[in-house]
Amino acid sequence: MSTNNMSDPRRPNKVLRYKPPPSECNPALDDPTPDYMNLLGMIFSMCGLMLKLKWCAWVAVYCSFISFANSRSSEDTKQMMSSFILTPLSCLRLSISAVVMSYLQNPQPMTPPW
Amino acid sequence: MKAFHTFCVVLLVFGSVSEAKFDDFEDEEDIVEYDDNDFAEFEDVMEDSVTESPQRVIITEDDEDETTVELEGQDENQEGDFEDADTQEGDTESEPYDDEEFEGYEDKPDTSSSKNKDPITIVDVPAHLQNSWESYYLEILMVTGLLAYIMNYIIGKNKNSRLAQAWFNTHRELLESNFTLVVVLPLGDDGTNKEATSTGKLNQENEHIYNLWCSGRVCCEGMLIQLRFLKRQDLLNVLARMMRPVSDQVQIKVTMNDEDMDTYVFAVGTRKALVRLQKEMQDLSEFCSDKPKSGAKYGLPDSLAILSEMGEVTDGMMDTKMVHFLTHYADKIESVHFSDQFSGPKIMQEEGQPLKLPDTKRTLLFTFNVPGSGNTYPKDMEALLPLMNMVIYSIDKAKKFRLNREGKQKADKNRARVEENFLKLTHVQRQEAAQSRREEKKRAEKERIMNEEDPEKQRRLEEAALRREQKKLEKKQMKMKQIKVKAM
Repeated sequence: MSTNNMSDPRRPNKVLRYKPPPSECNPALDDPTPDYMNLLGMIFSMCGLMLKLKWCAWVAVYCSFISFANSRSSEDTKQMMSSFILTPLSCLRLSISAVVMSYLQNPQPMTPPW
Repeated sequence: MKAFHTFCVVLLVFGSVSEAKFDDFEDEEDIVEYDDNDFAEFEDVMEDSVTESPQRVIITEDDEDETTVELEGQDENQEGDFEDADTQEGDTESEPYDDEEFEGYEDKPDTSSSKNKDPITIVDVPAHLQNSWESYYLEILMVTGLLAYIMNYIIGKNKNSRLAQAWFNTHRELLESNFTLVVVLPLGDDGTNKEATSTGKLNQENEHIYNLWCSGRVCCEGMLIQLRFLKRQDLLNVLARMMRPVSDQVQIKVTMNDEDMDTYVFAVGTRKALVRLQKEMQDLSEFCSDKPKSGAKYGLPDSLAILSEMGEVTDGMMDTKMVHFLTHYADKIESVHFSDQFSGPKIMQEEGQPLKLPDTKRTLLFTFNVPGSGNTYPKDMEALLPLMNMVIYSIDKAKKFRLNREGKQKADKNRARVEENFLKLTHVQRQEAAQSRREEKKRAEKERIMNEEDPEKQRRLEEAALRREQKKLEKKQMKMKQIKVKAM
């Protein structure tokens, strides 16, 4: 194809579709914050529910919020091969239920753990 | 004695509860201390007037707790009496609750102690029955914190989105004049998007990462632009950034056609970035083994360094226009990396080396820092436009630049060397893999022979296996003989 410098550099017949890089290892290599926060949130909410510690439940709520804010979300909800959307939301639900249950069982104000 | 002990225990409980909830009652501690000091003097007196001391403290506590109204009358009476004692005693300590005022009034405490026993239990009013929001201050604090986090999330998200849009608006014209397809990336590519047309928006991978794919140009297969903003939507990140300022980054990755780029590996950038890349990137660590060199020879500022496979490549790359670009925008350039052996960062595998070389693509990578180091505004995006010009220029230059014969030979030698090293490293693994495969086959055969019920068939299979093994041995011996002959 002859191209002189003044001509249009575009080549419509050479358009390629975008192939996202194989992401088997990439999600793990990228920022692990949402995964850690997710795990912490789950642990704290279970602690809060079982041991009836209110501060645990509140920390769980915070963890799930942080996990949600950092999540590698995409708008396409169909692409749920990696369940990154599912777990942050489920963590949020669990932590909020932990807080609610702690207060229903024991409506006293919270005593700090120190 | 027993009553004294129980009163002391009750005192401790009240003391701790009150301390936890009400911060402004420091007098209590003072009183306790003074009690100790005073009681030290009046130890004998303490033994006699056992009920006195607890009662004093109790009375003071009753005064402090607003909930016990019924005792106030009593307290006032007692205080009135005791105040006389105060003036009589000539108390130098100007404390409202002096212990010495109670001296000499053993009668009153004895009679009123029985009355005071019952009210003690009423003092302990659980906090949740108090109709005051103050006791829930920790919860209010938590909810406020959450609200602050949510606010920051919304604000951060909007700011990132505005920055991305500003960048796109500034660069749109240049990109569209150079590429046929400037497109939002369809992540769930199910093939329905056959008519890929240019859309006006960036694809949002995350709240802080925006992607853009450009394709349809001479020389290159495509260009992926990734705007990696700071995580403004996460409050923790915002706070961490206050300690350590970081910049937004624009990462551009141009995939070149195989025939449009010659074989070389070359990088320019800040010294820190190059050191990090050299450690991380597979191709840089293999082909550019020297430390980053200063580019002063070509007129580059000191902040930039060069990593190159061959001196010829550097000479070819550093023409006047490139040097002009690099010097003028040195503060915005983090790294520029041209490579024909690009395969991404080194993959750390647990099972040792991978058994085959990773795929390589000819790519040009650019990483630019957005000026402002965190405090960017949409208008700062215009400053990046000349850098995009540099990218386009580099693409054309990479197509034009060809190594001469010497350079090509050196490059080919380098690549062969790298491949050989890799094969050597994995030789042991590959041998082991082959060995294990052979053993598996043998084992499978033996299994088959054992499982054969018919003794006749068994014998025949065994003989067949023996014959095969003999043939193999013979072959090996032949090979050894041939090698020996050749060696001679």
